[in-house]
Amino acid sequence: MVSPLFIIAAPLGTAFFISLFSKEKQRLAFLITLAAMLLMSLVSLHWVFTYLTSGPVDYYTAGTLPPFSINFRMALPEACLILLINLTGLFSTLFLKNSLLRMGRLSMAVLLIDIMSLSGIVLTRDVFNLFVFLELMAISTGGLVLLSEDNRAPAAGLKYLIVSQLVTILLLIGIIFAYHATGTLNIDGLTVASLTHSTGGKLAFFLILIAVIAEVKPFPANGWALDIYESAHPSFSVIFSVASSSAVLFATAKILSIAGPEWLPIASNVGIITFLAANLFALSQTNDRRLLGYSSLGQSGLVLAIIGQQDILGDHYLYVAGGILLAHAVAKAGLFWMSGIIKGRELTDWTTIQGHPFLIFSFATFIALLIGLPPFPAFYAKWELIHSLAGAGRFPLLAMILLGTLLEVGYLFRWFGIILKRKPDGPGVLQKKRHRKRMVIAATTAVGWGMGYLWGTLSPLGHLFHATPLLFALSFLLLDWLPARIKNSLAIAGLVGYFALQYAGYNPMQLIFASVILIGGAVILLAGFDNTGRRIGFYPATVLMFAGLIQLIEARTSFDFFAAWEILTVGSYYLILRGKQSEPHALSYILFSLGGAFLILTGFSLAAQGGYQIELQMLGTVPQSVAPWVFLFLALGFMTKTAAIGLHIWLPGAHAEAETDVSPMVSGILLKAGLYGLMLLLMTMGKQQLYGVELTHMLLWIGALSALLGNLLAIFQEDAKRLLAYSSIGQMGYALFGLALMNHLGWLMAMMFVINHYIYKSMLFLSIGGVARRTGTKEMYRMGGLLKLMPLSFIAVLIGIIAVSGVPPLSGFGGRWIFYNAIMTSEYRLPIAVLFLAGPIAFLYLFRLIHTIFLGQLKDEHRRIQEAPFWLIVPQMIFVALLMGVALVPGVALRRVDHYIGQFFPNEGGGLNWSGMTISSDFGYWNPVAIMVVVGVMFATLLAWLLFVNRQAQVVKQFNIVYAAERPYRPETTHFAWNFYAPYRKALGFLTQPLVTRFWQTVTDLLHAASDLFRRIYTGNGQVYAIHLLAFVVMVYLYSKGL
Amino acid sequence: MQQFEWIQIPYSLLTLFIVLNFGLLLNALMAKIAARVGRRRGIPIYQNYIDLIKNYGLRTSITHGIMFYLGPVFRLAGGVGLLLFVPTLYGSEMFSNLSFAGDLILALYFVFFGALGMALGAGESGHPHAAIGVSRGLSQMTMAELPFALAVFSVALQYDTLTISEIVKAQQGSLFHWTLFTNPLAVAAAMLSFLGSMMRPPFDVVLAPQEIPIGPPTEYHSSYLALMQTNRMIFPIAKIVIIMNLFFGGATNWPIFFAKVFLIYLFAVFVGVVFPRFRVEQSIRWFLIWAVPLGVLAIVLV
Repeated sequence: MVSPLFIIAAPLGTAFFISLFSKEKQRLAFLITLAAMLLMSLVSLHWVFTYLTSGPVDYYTAGTLPPFSINFRMALPEACLILLINLTGLFSTLFLKNSLLRMGRLSMAVLLIDIMSLSGIVLTRDVFNLFVFLELMAISTGGLVLLSEDNRAPAAGLKYLIVSQLVTILLLIGIIFAYHATGTLNIDGLTVASLTHSTGGKLAFFLILIAVIAEVKPFPANGWALDIYESAHPSFSVIFSVASSSAVLFATAKILSIAGPEWLPIASNVGIITFLAANLFALSQTNDRRLLGYSSLGQSGLVLAIIGQQDILGDHYLYVAGGILLAHAVAKAGLFWMSGIIKGRELTDWTTIQGHPFLIFSFATFIALLIGLPPFPAFYAKWELIHSLAGAGRFPLLAMILLGTLLEVGYLFRWFGIILKRKPDGPGVLQKKRHRKRMVIAATTAVGWGMGYLWGTLSPLGHLFHATPLLFALSFLLLDWLPARIKNSLAIAGLVGYFALQYAGYNPMQLIFASVILIGGAVILLAGFDNTGRRIGFYPATVLMFAGLIQLIEARTSFDFFAAWEILTVGSYYLILRGKQSEPHALSYILFSLGGAFLILTGFSLAAQGGYQIELQMLGTVPQSVAPWVFLFLALGFMTKTAAIGLHIWLPGAHAEAETDVSPMVSGILLKAGLYGLMLLLMTMGKQQLYGVELTHMLLWIGALSALLGNLLAIFQEDAKRLLAYSSIGQMGYALFGLALMNHLGWLMAMMFVINHYIYKSMLFLSIGGVARRTGTKEMYRMGGLLKLMPLSFIAVLIGIIAVSGVPPLSGFGGRWIFYNAIMTSEYRLPIAVLFLAGPIAFLYLFRLIHTIFLGQLKDEHRRIQEAPFWLIVPQMIFVALLMGVALVPGVALRRVDHYIGQFFPNEGGGLNWSGMTISSDFGYWNPVAIMVVVGVMFATLLAWLLFVNRQAQVVKQFNIVYAAERPYRPETTHFAWNFYAPYRKALGFLTQPLVTRFWQTVTDLLHAASDLFRRIYTGNGQVYAIHLLAFVVMVYLYSKGL
Repeated sequence: MQQFEWIQIPYSLLTLFIVLNFGLLLNALMAKIAARVGRRRGIPIYQNYIDLIKNYGLRTSITHGIMFYLGPVFRLAGGVGLLLFVPTLYGSEMFSNLSFAGDLILALYFVFFGALGMALGAGESGHPHAAIGVSRGLSQMTMAELPFALAVFSVALQYDTLTISEIVKAQQGSLFHWTLFTNPLAVAAAMLSFLGSMMRPPFDVVLAPQEIPIGPPTEYHSSYLALMQTNRMIFPIAKIVIIMNLFFGGATNWPIFFAKVFLIYLFAVFVGVVFPRFRVEQSIRWFLIWAVPLGVLAIVLV
């Protein structure tokens, strides 16, 4: 066993040793420094394994017990932190090679001293010793800032020294008082002596505590830190952000352990305010390192807030705090190092990594680590944290943590969007030939994933890496070098194969959803064969989305459900982002989706009642006091995915700008995730009342209004894919309405919509996508007359619109018929009137879709275009066949579901009678086969007759039309297409005012304005920063007096 | 609900034959009545037969493409289907047509079958007037159909069924059992809506003979036009049959049938000769302000 004293002695000795070298031996000094760092890392790794099982061990420096000696304590947390600090030191040394060689051997000594002092801060159990290490840290930090070539660095270092001197004074006075009060400076001794029980002791403790907290860089006393982040060498920023912060956070936790839990709120409140403020201010940053600085401050604040929650976290404290701290550490280290290989300092300069899939993958890993997306440690940690907070009733803190995280999502994903979608230009040239630096980044990425695995193993709730679908999706990351067609075949085989293995275990409802997801997904993927090349990044994202979807359907516990929800959200985000113009839309998608996910998280945490998860089937047993709130949060969360009106503004852009074969996936399949959630919610929780308001009644209204406004907005679109996207909002409104009816047939109708909407919307998006690819535009008025050139696409659209509109004999009619039967028993009639209005409006946009594209006058520039590519047509024709099948024999799919739903309404009856060809309800009947036959026979007879009487009809050319007084010759002026429903806009256009868009725009504008206004408190002046610190101390003191 | 038997096919064709002839005469009669109001003589009562035979007989014809060709087929299939999916005479096995295929909802949605097909055919002609006419027609239809749908739903709720013959059955016995008296709000809403679907003033801007020569059918001629004219004889009656069944007690024999259809039709003609034409946005607002609230009241109060 190596004594922890080694970790102090080794760097100290090495630093002393290399300072003796002559100036010419810089390289040797560097190698020795590196070797020392490596050795210390290995030793700390050894400790981690040693202390994995054993309890804490104290080491005494002077051979006697405290207070006559200083003791170092070593346990698992200390070992992990020291490993973190030393690894950071090792990688930073590697990264800093050139700067260190330039600055000479003394800078290496300073680096060693810095790492040593940080280890000391973690290990020591003596307050005065802590003071000494903090001083060492301050001095060495001041020195290391100078490593940067940025000429603002010396000023930043000086400001830091000013502030740290103030902190030191506070700490020293505190230590003097504490010694006076208790006669010991040992932390455990101070605890035993009940330092905080006397008035003087309280003040002493406060001064010590506030000094250590000030080192955590709390708001508003953290301007100096930002200046360091902005100007220092990025690799030093890694040490500053990762190692220093971790060490002082640990020191804060140690100091807090002296006093009782009544002092914890100071840490919580300072932490959460810092977290919120830093993330808010980060919104308006355009400088990458300053933004990362804000993010670091925020994350430290979050960990500080968690330290303040140790009273409720209990055994899970280390798991939660460690998860967030380590995820932050790895991510921030990776990001700062990445900034080291990018020359420009603007966020847009990062576009330079576009051609480097691995760097993009690393970046995505790092932001996922920071935000806490699965399968990374912060995901598990935040899940447990939120559950503990909800269990203890600490809702304001819960809300602030989620809000801060959402702000973080905003700026991090905006950055990611910029990186992938903006055109690379400017000075942001990637530094060439820096394999050493890239290796460091790769290693960090690997550590991130490794930690995800570790946290999954430690989690009592479930290991995400043990889910086959997720592993299958991740395997595509490794296979991304293969040609797209091979990956496409693999993906299809995976989806179908998984369905074949699993379907026997599903209940009828799961079976419908699983068929839509897996078999439906496979059919849409057929269109992927159209792509040659490698299509980097497409398959991991696609399969990740499908993996999330199927895990969602299979989930039994709230934890599995939520993990799946986030996985599918992330996968679909990457998919949506691939569209050419998708940057803002993908951002709005991820914001709404994760916002919704956080609502779901809140709902589940409330439902768990202090536990860490709840069986989904047990949602119905949640006590009445919280049940309505659980219902509300979950329903709102699910409705972000179905794009219910008010939460819908992400959908049109996201669906319309996505790639040709992505639109059908995200529209036809992904939207169903929200419906599945709602269905599950209603099945388990039933009707809930909040302040006397029946929540399902509210859902009914939301569904009806979504249907109306979605349809209404669709008819005024000029962009064909946007039209389809708005139509989806309307269709999901119908489905939501059906669910909210809370009767047997309403649910059956929703299931019918799940099937129908998947088929026809996927088909329409594919055909329109094919047309858009051939014509090079999505604007309908720029097309026209394509029927003769693209007949198969036309057939798909024709069948699609007949089905959507609900006209017999196609399958849409079945949905309408069930709808009418379902509303017969509804208690609420007014929302039905709204839905009745929405129905016929669908005809308007559907006719416009087919008319302005395929009928009317062909444009000159389109005379030579061909039918859509073969592989886009194949799935469309499968969909045509499916639609016909569902139209003829809906019972195949619905019969079992009907029976299954029946068990939820045992007292109502109300199911359908499926005997023979005729489907009948309590109110009416319907015979799909007879309808099809009758219509078919009539149609055929009349057609035959027309063919007979009209056998000599002559086909005429374009423009050969009866036109008074002029001869049309330009398709542009003859094709009536633009603003097709002008009279409708005059009459009802007032309903389409973008009120919701304006609302959300105002919210984001206000956030940005606030961010821009308040960040100005950081003036860059050292004296102002000193005043900030004093003000901070006074504020916290006043707050603590109120405790 | 009955099952299919082969004999229903000749019976249905018989219904079709009767209704077609009745429609030919009734439409001419209505045209004549409208003409007389305007102090004109009007057409002879057999004029529609002549038009139809002439148009079917014309051999000079052109086509703009497959959808153009199919448009009139869709249109007439829609009209015939609507007629045959609804029982014509209550209590008559012979004239219950093909109503075994579906209930009221089928009839309601089948109304759109012809309209949609026709619009597609008109669209392929490439004539801007056709497209303008369709735009107007669909815009007006969405709002005009709403009070009707509300009224139908109100009636379905009132009688607790979606089966047409059940609804008619409930109205038998006395004049005051008619929905007209038991649910006047629904009937009022439905009758206002009915005005909007008859292509007569004030809601005939769709065909607008002056500005967009007859709108959607503008490119149709010869046998295409004949097919559409045939539909124009059948479709209003098919629609009136539904109204008669839902609101006016249905008909148990042909004389009652002829009388009721005539009177209901006359209502639209009467309004048409009195009021001038609305623009589309005006008619949308008119239905929204006058007819829709009646329909909403009808479903709330029933």
